[in-house]
Amino acid sequence: METFLKKTSPWYGWILGSWFPVQYRKAFAILLLTVLLYVGGGVIVPGFLTLEQILLTLKLASFIALFGLCQMIVIVAGGGGLDLSVGYTATLTAVLTASIMDGRNAYLWVALLVALVLGLLVGLANGVLTSYLKLPPLVVTLAMADILQGIVNAYVAGKAITGRPSPVLVTLAAKLTGVFPNILFVLIPVAVLAILVFERTKWGQVLFGVGANERTAYLCGIDVKKVRFLTFVASGILASLIGLLLLGNMGIAFKDMGSNYVMPSIAAVVVGGVPLTGGGGSYFGVILGSIFLQTLINLLTALGLGDAGKWLGFGIILFAMLSVYAGNRRSR
Amino acid sequence: MDAARKSIVVLSFEVLKRALLQPETSSLLMFFVLFGITAILQKNFFEAKSIVRTINSFAPLILLAMGQAIVVVSGGIDLSSGAALSLLTCVLTTVMRRDDPVTGVYALIIAFLVALGTGVVNGLGIGYLRIPPVIVTFATSYAWLGIALFLRPTPGGESVPWFRVFYNMRVVEGVPEVLKSLGNYVPPALLLIVGACVLWYVVSRTRTGRYIYAVGSNIESAYVSGINTGKTQMLACMLNAILIFLAALFFVGQNQTGDARMGGPLTLRSIAAVVVGGIALSGGRGSVYLAIVGALILGFVGRIIFFANVPNAYQTLVSGIIVIAAIAGPAYATLRRELR
Amino acid sequence: MVILEARGVRKSFGGVVALSDGNLRCQQGKITGLLGANGSGKSTMSKIIAGVYRPDGGEIWYKGRLVHYRNPSEAKRDGIALVFQNLSLVPDLTVWQNVVLGMEKSRGIFLDNQEAKRIARDILSKLLPGLDITKKVYELGPGEMQIVEIAKAIAEKPQLLILDEPTAALEHTQVKSLFAYMRALAESGVAIVFTSHRLWEVMEICDDVTIFRNGATVAYIDFNREEKDPETIIGHITGETVRPSLAERTSGEKPESCEVLLRARVRSRVKSLRDVSLELAKGEILGIGGLAGQGQNELLYALAGSFPGVQCEVEIEGRKIVLRRPQDAIQNGILLVPGDRQKEGLFLEHSVYSNMVFPKFGSPRHPVIIPGKKYREECEDIVRLLSIKVSSLDAPVSTLSGGNQQKVVVGKWLSFDVKVFLLADPAKGVDIGAKRDLYEYIRRLARERGIGVVLYASDHEELAQYADRVLVMYEGDIVATLTGEDISEEAITAASVRAR
Repeated sequence: METFLKKTSPWYGWILGSWFPVQYRKAFAILLLTVLLYVGGGVIVPGFLTLEQILLTLKLASFIALFGLCQMIVIVAGGGGLDLSVGYTATLTAVLTASIMDGRNAYLWVALLVALVLGLLVGLANGVLTSYLKLPPLVVTLAMADILQGIVNAYVAGKAITGRPSPVLVTLAAKLTGVFPNILFVLIPVAVLAILVFERTKWGQVLFGVGANERTAYLCGIDVKKVRFLTFVASGILASLIGLLLLGNMGIAFKDMGSNYVMPSIAAVVVGGVPLTGGGGSYFGVILGSIFLQTLINLLTALGLGDAGKWLGFGIILFAMLSVYAGNRRSR
Repeated sequence: MDAARKSIVVLSFEVLKRALLQPETSSLLMFFVLFGITAILQKNFFEAKSIVRTINSFAPLILLAMGQAIVVVSGGIDLSSGAALSLLTCVLTTVMRRDDPVTGVYALIIAFLVALGTGVVNGLGIGYLRIPPVIVTFATSYAWLGIALFLRPTPGGESVPWFRVFYNMRVVEGVPEVLKSLGNYVPPALLLIVGACVLWYVVSRTRTGRYIYAVGSNIESAYVSGINTGKTQMLACMLNAILIFLAALFFVGQNQTGDARMGGPLTLRSIAAVVVGGIALSGGRGSVYLAIVGALILGFVGRIIFFANVPNAYQTLVSGIIVIAAIAGPAYATLRRELR
Repeated sequence: MVILEARGVRKSFGGVVALSDGNLRCQQGKITGLLGANGSGKSTMSKIIAGVYRPDGGEIWYKGRLVHYRNPSEAKRDGIALVFQNLSLVPDLTVWQNVVLGMEKSRGIFLDNQEAKRIARDILSKLLPGLDITKKVYELGPGEMQIVEIAKAIAEKPQLLILDEPTAALEHTQVKSLFAYMRALAESGVAIVFTSHRLWEVMEICDDVTIFRNGATVAYIDFNREEKDPETIIGHITGETVRPSLAERTSGEKPESCEVLLRARVRSRVKSLRDVSLELAKGEILGIGGLAGQGQNELLYALAGSFPGVQCEVEIEGRKIVLRRPQDAIQNGILLVPGDRQKEGLFLEHSVYSNMVFPKFGSPRHPVIIPGKKYREECEDIVRLLSIKVSSLDAPVSTLSGGNQQKVVVGKWLSFDVKVFLLADPAKGVDIGAKRDLYEYIRRLARERGIGVVLYASDHEELAQYADRVLVMYEGDIVATLTGEDISEEAITAASVRAR
């Protein structure tokens, strides 16, 4: 299968052994780092390195990873694609469907339908504006996030948000089976499906091609505009569905539910080895990247540094990670 | 006579249409339209007091947008400007002591150095380590937030009384009468903006200014031409930092507090201002002053919403639509022209 | 006087050896030619001398001193200037701003723009009179850009000027005036290093030539003392003892049937291409010639349905179709091998396998799940068929030499039902061995399988050698047709120039 080589030589390659396929080497390096974080954290902070903690981290990371899938689809297809509207798409869906479901399973189907339609609409708008009108995705999805936020505000204006998610959603998103968070039962099949689609189907390969070189893809008969358009549609629908899960996790809907996931989802994608220009990378890496980020945040919180230390530490470490992973120092 | 008049109408229509096609002129056009609408809606628009108030409310965004424009033209983008602004307000209000006027001077120096520091760090990431700017400034925004929270866990801090000169010269003792009456018409905010424009004017005529455009246009070509691309991008980030510093002066002058989270929303608005003003996000093109136009457009939109009695809840909704309209307009027109 | 001497220079890029033993000697006032196949190391050599790359070993003596340049600026300060093949111009700046880029003079802290414009005007009025120096570079054509590139290097008043394939994008007349300028420069004492794939150019302008092969210098010929024998030179380049005669027309057997395979009619609304029509017979190799940039690439794009704004009506095997998008052409077996293989033909970071199977995915009828095993075997067959030198199907295509990359671009279409092959300058920048492989294969395809080939070659010698019929283009129009005995390199060039 196709590989993606970075311009800087992977010094960690020999650590992990050359018998690993190249695209996974970076991802495994992230895994190694995450493990290190846990071990180190366990030493410094008692109670950090426990199964419960790890599973809790996995649970929180799953949401980042799911949003990361939205981002990966859009980013891999290149053209400066990224989707800053996923957070508010999820939020809006949660807000709208909360009152529909009202804590019962009966209307779960209606909620799903609403989610699909909403995600489709957002995705269509994003897709048309970026692909056919050729507006920069950064700005379009940013403005879209604003618009969605405005709709949420208008809908909510004054009154408190009523409604609760259906128990199915709560079970899926919030509850555990024994110690195992159920959300993983969502993430794992999604991950397997995603990786299969990326690596073994024509859709995935077309995405990589379009991101790697859109001119070449065009001359091979690919409708680049349509492909990029569809990535935004997919991202919108996915984000909307994730909104349902967020609702299930939180139990209620509130205004800023999704917005804190946007930038971390992009960070997870980058740290996971997907170049922001597209054309390469793997979802496996994105998942590992999400886990790493969440572990990092948990560790920093557990260290008791307070908000200040937590964010400063996060910024510094992320910066350091990026200079290794996303840096492109000129090789001569 | 009729034929002549008709041809004038047709000609001006053509000029208008062509103007709308360029992103730069279409933004100017949009600005004038919005200016006009605001002037109509707001009854006391042309009174001195309200002009001053208008300038004051737009000042932070204008300064941040200009700084953002410089970074964008150099090929980058800065998602940490709001956080840097917050950080600087916290630095200022932590160094200053209300009863000791000298601390104001120390605060200025230290905050300026901190500002340059943020520019250096961002520039290091973007220019030397070549990390994609979107993500590296995302990381640094957390670092600024962390430091700001360390200095000011809750909004507060102290400010020296004379610091208000950055906001309103009339309120400060010891300012000569001449300046005070000037302050009726020329708020310090305007001076800060003019200062920023002068700074950019000078820089744009130097080697650094040209290199900023070269690097933004095609970094590989700039590199092989012997330009130190890392240094150039770092300088662009540092210029941005200086403008953020000016905005911080204004903010503290106005509110006398430091707040670690105040700048957040301004970051994305500054990017929107750059785009709405007609500067290409890809870099290398566009006059930095257009960012001022973009910031004013966004500002006037907010005003219009307010005066048209649109409920506050719809603010972001409308501004989002405006941003899309502002960039979609020229894009759509170009598309039509290409297809014909 | 020897101004530069390089001995035993070595350079590798991540495991791939580009140079194992590079030697070069340049004299003041002399024009030295660098010849060699793609991947022979000559380009790397130029770049190392100019400070773009740092050598892994060997010595470089410049003006009697041992030098170690860490970046191009250091080399520039010493008086070495390099003109690239891939441009070093900044598109959003003007011509004059580009000419002085990196060496602007200033008055105080401000830039001295008057001086800059004067310098630019000085040089360009001789190299390309009539060029508006206030135009932005993105408004220029490729030939003009190359000239500005050269002007930029000359503005640095170098003592050693390295021109790396400068004539690739130039028209005949532009080449002539460039050579005149080079002669004048050399006479004023500048040492010039000149690389080109076109043998006739090197033999015309160079005083001596250094030949590279497989990363090492293999020969040095001083034209003032020895005979200029193309055969010898080619022998050094390819390393073969039995050399096919270049000038011989090797068309082999003519295609037997004159059955018309394709009738095409182009309706264009763009300036670069006029309304043209052409016919293509089964098994025929139709050559497209003319000066560079006269619409040949555009014609091929149009025939491939890949030129928005241009409509191409095609009658193929009796069926009438309108080609509006690339997929229309591809479905009908009209396949394009584009002019710039790196920018248009390949995904550089993806593997050979990925590149080769990609076009299949464009067809709507393709199954969602990729039959990996079957495709792998197909690719292996094609690699063998075209003699693509690669260690494994998963190697990134960027590690292949130019010629092998080109073979991959051709190879990706071979699993299709090819009816018409459109080749846009397939041998540009390709070494002689790979060039011959490709052309021989194409000719076999045409003769044995009745495939029609439309071949654009900027090198008229190639056209003369392989085409059955040649259409000469000028300013987007077909202005001459040459057939049979009339086809020769001189005739094609004459027709290209006479059109004016």
